Amino acid sequence: MNYLILLPVSLPFLVAVMIPIMKFKERERNFFVGAVIILNLIIVIGIFYALGEGGIHLFKLNEFIDIYFKIDKLGILFTSLVSILWVLTSFYSMEYMKHEGKENKFFAFFIITLGVTVGIGFSGNLFTLYIFYELLTLVTFPLVIHTESKEALESGKKYLAYSFGGATFILLGMILLFSITNNLNFQPHGVVGAVSADNFNLYLGIFISMFIGFGVKAALVPFHSWLPSAMVAPTPVSSLLHAVAVVKSGVFALIRMCYYIFGVDVIKELKGNIYMIVPIIITILLGSFIAIKQENLKKRLAYSTVSQLGYILLGIVLLNKNAFVGALLHLINHAVIKITLFFVVGSIMYTTGKKNISEINGIGRRMPLTMWCFTIASISLIGIPPTNGFVSKWFLAQGGLTAGKIIFPAALLLSAVLTALYLFPVVTEAFFRKGDYENAIIKEPPKKMLIPIVIITIIVVILGLFPNPVIFFIEEIASEVM
Amino acid sequence: MIIKSFPLVTILVLFISAFIMPLIKDGKLVKTISLASMFLGLILSLTTAFYVIKYGKFYYRIGHFSAPMGIEFYIGNIEAVMGILFTFVSLMIIWYSVYSIDREIISSKISLYYLLINILIGSLLGVIFTNDLFNAFVFIEVGTLASCGIIVVKDKKDNIKATLKYLIMSCLGSGLVLMGIAFIYSITGQLNITFIHKELLSVYHQYPRAILISLSLFTVGLGVKSAMFPLHTWLPDAHSSAPSSSSAILSALVLKAFVLLLIKVLYRAFGMDIITEFPVLNIILILGSVGMIMGSVFAIFQRQIKRVIAYSSVAQMGYVFLGIGLGTDLGVAIAVFHMVGHAVTKSALFLAVGAMIEKTGSKELKGLRGIGKEMPATSALFLLGALSMVGIPVLPGFASKWNLALASIEVDKILIIGIILVSSLLNAVYYFPIIINGFFGEENLKDKIYKSKSKPIKELLPIFCLIFAMIYAGFSSGSIINFIKNGIV
Repeated sequence: MNYLILLPVSLPFLVAVMIPIMKFKERERNFFVGAVIILNLIIVIGIFYALGEGGIHLFKLNEFIDIYFKIDKLGILFTSLVSILWVLTSFYSMEYMKHEGKENKFFAFFIITLGVTVGIGFSGNLFTLYIFYELLTLVTFPLVIHTESKEALESGKKYLAYSFGGATFILLGMILLFSITNNLNFQPHGVVGAVSADNFNLYLGIFISMFIGFGVKAALVPFHSWLPSAMVAPTPVSSLLHAVAVVKSGVFALIRMCYYIFGVDVIKELKGNIYMIVPIIITILLGSFIAIKQENLKKRLAYSTVSQLGYILLGIVLLNKNAFVGALLHLINHAVIKITLFFVVGSIMYTTGKKNISEINGIGRRMPLTMWCFTIASISLIGIPPTNGFVSKWFLAQGGLTAGKIIFPAALLLSAVLTALYLFPVVTEAFFRKGDYENAIIKEPPKKMLIPIVIITIIVVILGLFPNPVIFFIEEIASEVM
Repeated sequence: MIIKSFPLVTILVLFISAFIMPLIKDGKLVKTISLASMFLGLILSLTTAFYVIKYGKFYYRIGHFSAPMGIEFYIGNIEAVMGILFTFVSLMIIWYSVYSIDREIISSKISLYYLLINILIGSLLGVIFTNDLFNAFVFIEVGTLASCGIIVVKDKKDNIKATLKYLIMSCLGSGLVLMGIAFIYSITGQLNITFIHKELLSVYHQYPRAILISLSLFTVGLGVKSAMFPLHTWLPDAHSSAPSSSSAILSALVLKAFVLLLIKVLYRAFGMDIITEFPVLNIILILGSVGMIMGSVFAIFQRQIKRVIAYSSVAQMGYVFLGIGLGTDLGVAIAVFHMVGHAVTKSALFLAVGAMIEKTGSKELKGLRGIGKEMPATSALFLLGALSMVGIPVLPGFASKWNLALASIEVDKILIIGIILVSSLLNAVYYFPIIINGFFGEENLKDKIYKSKSKPIKELLPIFCLIFAMIYAGFSSGSIINFIKNGIV
């Protein structure tokens, strides 16, 4: 029965191979892709109910080369988030990709990426995670450089260089760690036993090396610059890269590493988290500051992501329960909010071809529903109650206070103000400025794009109004690892 | 047991079939003979390996004269693995060359070419199997001349120049090896490795200088032949100008045989007790690490694809030397494993590149832009090989890097991990642009027609088999390394 775990990981691979072979017509392919992605979602959720927490060693050679899949609550949380957003994105991209072309290639890699991301979620040890982590770089690369222009290739190379550089740090940490512990399985409280004086520095080095390595994908400043460059990708790809697939994989891997490999007590003993707090605070503030200056809408959102990821990282390294809950909540909330924002920007680009903030004066009249969704998402990201952004920031601020430093809540508040400064202008330009679209008739984007936007916005609202089921689930995870 | 004679039979089959070839004018028949003899060799090697697995290592007396008078073959785990590797890889390369060699060399030379290949593989197997240093020297000389032959057979100006360079360096190398043997013989009066070892253990205190000299002669002499870092200068020219199937053999097999002999000399003839008293292992370690970095750095600046891959071989041989230099059983086992992984990968890469050059007519990296669209299958195989070189997990390149890192932690040389990691990043720096420009990019893909230059499937099958063997080696890296390690003790 446990072999079922492999299904959501391998199914996307099979399907991706079938796309070029079967020579589908467009409608058939869209139907096929949509059906498979929905099926994958059903399988992921079904597995959790059917199997509970199980594991499978697919292939074990020795302690190290051990491809091991395991289901736990954290993995389920991540994979279901991924699968749900993937369904919505796939419908959105069926329409959006019409003007980008090369759709077969796009959907093939799009589906493989789903499999790889689910693989990251289900990995039961660091080695398996590392394999999927490397694969993720390789399979998202064609998506990033989809337009294949010179600029795209350059950005793609940057993306590869950053990702492989980061992976090298991870590998370094992994080798050293394995030579001490001989065990890389994920366990709550970690596999690193006691730290003694003679291997203290080594452990600290391993921690920092791996944190930086995973931090590259999580856009930790100063390793963030691939993310804005990767904005040359088509909008659905950007939204997925930001919302779930790539950056969140980095964050997810960091959670695995901190709470399931090292364990809270060991990190506290090493004081490894203290070293990381400075770059994280810089990440939060710098991302927001740069975002304010961005003229290009997608770039503005990209820097916003950098800043918001800083929140999550902060929640991870504060090492207390509130902060952890806040981090996981923000992982989910930021995912749904950011994907909404990107979808809206994408539909503006799709219907009008405008990319910059100065060009969208009054566009709220033309696409009122879409821009309302953008407004709701912006308010949520800023964190005004009763939105979901407020809930997660509340927990993060609580966590910061528990850690006993007033600077954390202060940084969060300052960044929230900055968030307002870079998102509200978009809203005001769209609704209150007089401009090109003042007298335009209402013309929303096509249904396949509009419906996903509306659905995710509804999810955003629901998560803000009724956060408790999610919080309970996350608190269960938190009590496991604390 | 008759099986014990199989290693010798393999070599004899190859040699005898080689000398039949010039008598036959028909190119097709020559190819068939070469293929058949190599296939027979593979079967014999497999049988030998199973015998070794079942009954353990064995010595085989040639002509029933017992050592130290007679010549002896020694077949242990390493030799068994290498026997399979050499016959398998050369079978695949010959299979590939059957389709392509007519386009690279003139038809009157075809029987000569296969004669040289058979002799070369036979002599390399001899170097691997033999337990007698002088016998090894004879095989080295035969092998050197044959390998010069398969480069110069193309008859172009470049080839002749490269061959002369190779010939000079190579002869220098074998001269040094011969002197090394002479020094050992003068101390011990033996040529058989087992007897040398016994003799040396009792006398090495008396002749520290002579042993140091002979150790350095062996290291440098065999280092030249196996492209140890500062002695690699002949390699890029030789490997890049030769016909593709020759490059594959030279890079995948010829280099390996000499390293294996070096391992035998260091660890079996001298033995751990003696070599640890001299700095030779540390020097090999340092040269290996420098080679890992510099080979890749040189590769980055090359413009011709075959030179890139040739320099990559220098870097990869660095890994092998690094493993030897660690001075532990695990280190040597990984060195041997890396030879296996590198042999299958590099031969596949050379053959794939050969196919690309043949179809596009361009040796330059520039000319291979958009190749992924024109030759999707070949490029995909190339991609897999390159991924192993870069060290994507589960492929053999990753397995050897990982184990080397662990082995270097074992001997408290943590710095080496940094070198290994930097070197694998450098590998990525020169392999990925080839792939990216091959598969992606608007400009690169402009005017390229999908599958316009693709090769027929049957011509790609040998490359496919090699890549398959590579993936197999990666997946079973643990058990292969264990098997090799058990053979060392």
